[in-house]
Amino acid sequence: MMRCNPYPKRLSRVGIAALLGIGLTVVLDGSGNLGQAQIENHVSQIFAEANQRMVKVYGASAGRVEGYATGFLVSADGLVMTTQGVFLDGNRVRILTADGVEHAASVIRRDRERQLALLKIEVEDANYFSLAEGDVGDKGDWVVAISNAFKVADKDEPLSATLGVISLRTTIEARLNRRDVAYKGDLVLIDPITSNPGAAGGVIVNLQGQLVGMIGKIINSSDTNTRLNYAVPTSSLEQFVANEKPDSQPVLAVSPPVELGIRLFTHGGRSSPAYIDRVSRGSPARQAGMKPDDLIISIGGTKIGNVKDYEQVVAGLKVGEEVIIVVKRGIELIRQPIIPVEKK
Amino acid sequence: MMNRFRGLCLLLTLLLGLPLAAQDARPSASNLSPQDSFQAMILTSKAVRQAIESIQPSLVTIESFGGVSVVQGRIGGIRKQGEGNTTGIIVSPEGHIVTSTFNFIQQPPVITVVTSDGTRHVAKMLGRDDTRKICMLKIDTGQEFPLPEMVPVDQMQVGQWAISLGVGYGDVNPAASVGIISAKNRVGGRAVQTDANISPANYGGPLLDIQGRLLGICVPMNPQSQAVGAGVEWYDSGIGFAIPLADADELLSGLKEGKRVYPAYLGILAMPNPEGQGVWIEQVVQGSPADRAGLAPEDVIVAIDGVDVRDMMQLRKILNRQQAGAQIELTLLTAEETEPKKIRLTLDRPPPPKGTPEPLEVPRIR
Repeated sequence: MMRCNPYPKRLSRVGIAALLGIGLTVVLDGSGNLGQAQIENHVSQIFAEANQRMVKVYGASAGRVEGYATGFLVSADGLVMTTQGVFLDGNRVRILTADGVEHAASVIRRDRERQLALLKIEVEDANYFSLAEGDVGDKGDWVVAISNAFKVADKDEPLSATLGVISLRTTIEARLNRRDVAYKGDLVLIDPITSNPGAAGGVIVNLQGQLVGMIGKIINSSDTNTRLNYAVPTSSLEQFVANEKPDSQPVLAVSPPVELGIRLFTHGGRSSPAYIDRVSRGSPARQAGMKPDDLIISIGGTKIGNVKDYEQVVAGLKVGEEVIIVVKRGIELIRQPIIPVEKK
Repeated sequence: MMNRFRGLCLLLTLLLGLPLAAQDARPSASNLSPQDSFQAMILTSKAVRQAIESIQPSLVTIESFGGVSVVQGRIGGIRKQGEGNTTGIIVSPEGHIVTSTFNFIQQPPVITVVTSDGTRHVAKMLGRDDTRKICMLKIDTGQEFPLPEMVPVDQMQVGQWAISLGVGYGDVNPAASVGIISAKNRVGGRAVQTDANISPANYGGPLLDIQGRLLGICVPMNPQSQAVGAGVEWYDSGIGFAIPLADADELLSGLKEGKRVYPAYLGILAMPNPEGQGVWIEQVVQGSPADRAGLAPEDVIVAIDGVDVRDMMQLRKILNRQQAGAQIELTLLTAEETEPKKIRLTLDRPPPPKGTPEPLEVPRIR
């Protein structure tokens, strides 16, 4: 427990604070790092510190798409991180810093794949969030989501804060249909509701005031058909600001098309379950003991929900590389290794 | 030690300014400092992680294959269901699993279950309870499963921590949301209410207390509607429901035997009684329990099972607590008789709503 800490150590922390003068915002050095003294913070103070480094972004609205978002400073000289959107397409992008002062912003870089944008305003010695700290926060950790959802705050009014926890740290590869999110990599799912107009570009900070990530654009998960509340983690933001491309998969050597010797029932179209209609003689499927009427459940650990899934997964298999196929026969599940052969 | 600590707080307060000072100005109200509150939050996160870990052996991922093809937009009058996996909880050592009926709106002919050790099993659908939106699955594995500890409703308190869990987003690792119990005895006394996020991501999954014990099974519910998907429109809204299972041995054994529980249906069109208390019957549906028991238009229902029916709202509330097959005693005022008349009748299940196609048979492939 904290209170068992030796007295002198505490005193020294207080000393630091005293030397630096008047409170927390000053203790924050320009890098945005929190000193030891701030470990004992309260949500209200975390909010106050974060709010100092955050901005309101106004641009062009197009039809029903809102023309505003949230943003935050990532450098002392005015680099602002926000979300990519049509509101950046207009002639003029305005940014209000926490003190209510309006700045004309220029768009430095936009990435439609990752839905991120980097803007620039002319300021000096601004407080900012450091992106160099890397990823912080585990499932169940308290986080404060701060944004200008619904444009509730105006001028120098502080942004809106909501408290919640991290739901899950996950990768797009492991979860979510890939078509839901444009970029690959990590995501931080959170339980405070952030899928509201204008919230994108806001921050998620933990109880130490560290940046967990940036609130992402509103997206619907096709797994649940619901809106997702999530943040793009700090490391991805850092990559973007440093103008690095996300880790792309090594280009695969073109491998010849493969087959397993299975013909599926396609009577109900490609969205019907992957029932086997026929197994070719001498084929890998025959060797693996597959039979007509077996239902293919998974191949190589990927669930085969329907004929379409089967086609996609088989297209990604390689000649001679063994995978496990799981089929349902009667009420039994049968697991068999199967080795794809080159398609004739 | 404590004193020294407080002294420091005061020092800090002076240095750091108003927010802390405002709190320390009322030391008599609470001896807790902001530092304590911070520590409490850190410890709460740890407890949440432990609770999640302790339920994992009883948590399963449910996959379905095939089913009624889904048209974009809506199915059966409700929002289109997602395509993802869903969550369930093992409730018997032999492999009985309780989950939400929402997961099976598409009536998939094949259901498989992945247990916490990563093995996949074919599941059989047993009974279902349409009033609670839960159903029972069974897997045969030969292995014995650990059971979650269940909290009886009378031991739950409004305001206590509640953690919802589900694998609906697609990762085998469940996503968590933390809130509190908002109310007990909701929706005909069947559900507890929580402000933790409840959505298709965790329908069928557990609502846990901070010790990892089972408070209930997350389900979509809307007290105003009995439709199978009703309540999904309130997803992640701060109004969510879970079905407690601690005192439900009879229900669970019924579901294990394949029993189906339907909502109660009386079969009257009613309006407020213009002449005072009670509910005035405008129309009686032909062939309904009300019709069979001899209720007629212009009768007035003044009590059910000895409880005064003051208005329409209360009638609905009383009937909501019942289920099909239950016997009730109505007290009626009729035009012919001056004395109130008592009638016993058995509630039935509601007829399928007009204009909806017959429920589809499980599609047969060969």
